[in-house]
Amino acid sequence: MINAYILITMSPGNAENAIKEMRKIENVDKISIVAGEFDIVVRVHVKTLDKLLKVTNELQMINGVKKTTTQVIEKELAL
Amino acid sequence: MKIRRKYLFYALAFTSAIISAVVSAIDATIITRYITNPWTFGVSCFIVGTLISFFIILFFSIPIRGKSIGTRIIDPSFRRLRLFRKEELKYHILAGFGNSLLTIGYFFLLKNFEDPSTVLPFSLISILYLVAIESIVEKNMPTLIEVQSSLIVTFGAILGSISLTGTISLEALAIVFIVISPAWVLFSIYQRKLKLLKIDKKPNDALNIRFWNVVFSCLFVVIIVGMYDFVFEENHILSGITASIEHFNWIALTMGVTFFAYVFYIRALGIGKASVTQAVRASTVLFAIPFSLMLSYFNIIPPFSTDPTMILIKMIGTVLVILGIVSFALTLFKAYIFINVKPGCSIEQTMNEIWNIHGVTRVAATAGPYDFIVKIRTRTLVKGYERIIRKIEEIKSIKNYKWESVLKEWEKI
Repeated sequence: MINAYILITMSPGNAENAIKEMRKIENVDKISIVAGEFDIVVRVHVKTLDKLLKVTNELQMINGVKKTTTQVIEKELAL
Repeated sequence: MKIRRKYLFYALAFTSAIISAVVSAIDATIITRYITNPWTFGVSCFIVGTLISFFIILFFSIPIRGKSIGTRIIDPSFRRLRLFRKEELKYHILAGFGNSLLTIGYFFLLKNFEDPSTVLPFSLISILYLVAIESIVEKNMPTLIEVQSSLIVTFGAILGSISLTGTISLEALAIVFIVISPAWVLFSIYQRKLKLLKIDKKPNDALNIRFWNVVFSCLFVVIIVGMYDFVFEENHILSGITASIEHFNWIALTMGVTFFAYVFYIRALGIGKASVTQAVRASTVLFAIPFSLMLSYFNIIPPFSTDPTMILIKMIGTVLVILGIVSFALTLFKAYIFINVKPGCSIEQTMNEIWNIHGVTRVAATAGPYDFIVKIRTRTLVKGYERIIRKIEEIKSIKNYKWESVLKEWEKI
């Protein structure tokens, strides 16, 4: 299994609708609206890199998404 | 479905509190009308409870279109009834022992002290015990707001459920403070540890945890009551088995409903701290009010006090519980920290150094523009700076970092 964070920069005024669309994507585990360099951080959980590409593509197709940066998780410690 | 994690936590804890209020009404009916000996009732509860929990979990294991009923409607982590794993055994033993001790302490109080209703609300002090334990054993030190909110909820719940019909005796208070509350802490802490365990790299499920807890609790109750019977030449085990058969329907009802109260409680424990979960669940004293009124209307329990002083005390208690819970809900900040490491520095070592910082809930070493994505949780931004940022700045291998506060979050359940 592959876990990844996708860091998204949005164009202003589209966040609400974009979040609605993102919540419909199957492999998206978590969506966080953040304040800072990025606007939205999405955590995805997929079986293959092909699926990751599919999810990234779906995210980029959403109206208002300006840029995505994918960070694939290599190792993780969590409570 | 993706919902806000906070909503899920409160929905689970409140559902557990409401079901617990229903359970206390059923228990009051049984103990007043059908099984008046508390020891007999305790033994029969666990015997029937084991049986009924087995049938409930078996039902939820039935697959429908590739997913079991339990996965679909109770806990997405559940697959089917399974044997406990080796790594779960010690936690099940400790949680089962805690649950049995709690039950025995409670029944000892009922048997030996006439009307212990004045001292029983003090068992809610377990919330404060949990705060203390968490500050020692978990890397999640409670903040001043958590301590304040816990105190408000605890004393509010005590005032909300207090009754002045009984008398306060030192022995009864000692049982509450030395046996019942620590046993509840043992039970909660290890149920939470079980929920946080990964089974086959997947989150552990609340249904199997509850089922095995009932089995282990039954085992310990039978051992402890058996020893008591042997020493004092009594016969509670046998009378418990007889009562299980004679009043099977009533006991099956209370234990069946209890099963769901604990399944939701365990799920909530997997999301929030044990002390916060227990504090929210203390709202059961509010949900129990309509049931108490109903039972007193049917003369099952003594009439509800109409003394203005008592009503005022209970109202103050109710307001305090609500205030405490709201305070917990509104004071949690989360943030991501994106970190880059200096060339030539060990990723593994840096990861461990970050992980050791209080408030860090997740550290992910990633491939991409950033070397680490860290998730943190703090009750105040000041603490976020003092406890987290300062510590990150002390790690020599970190080249730069970016703090991004989480404004709103949704999570798949």
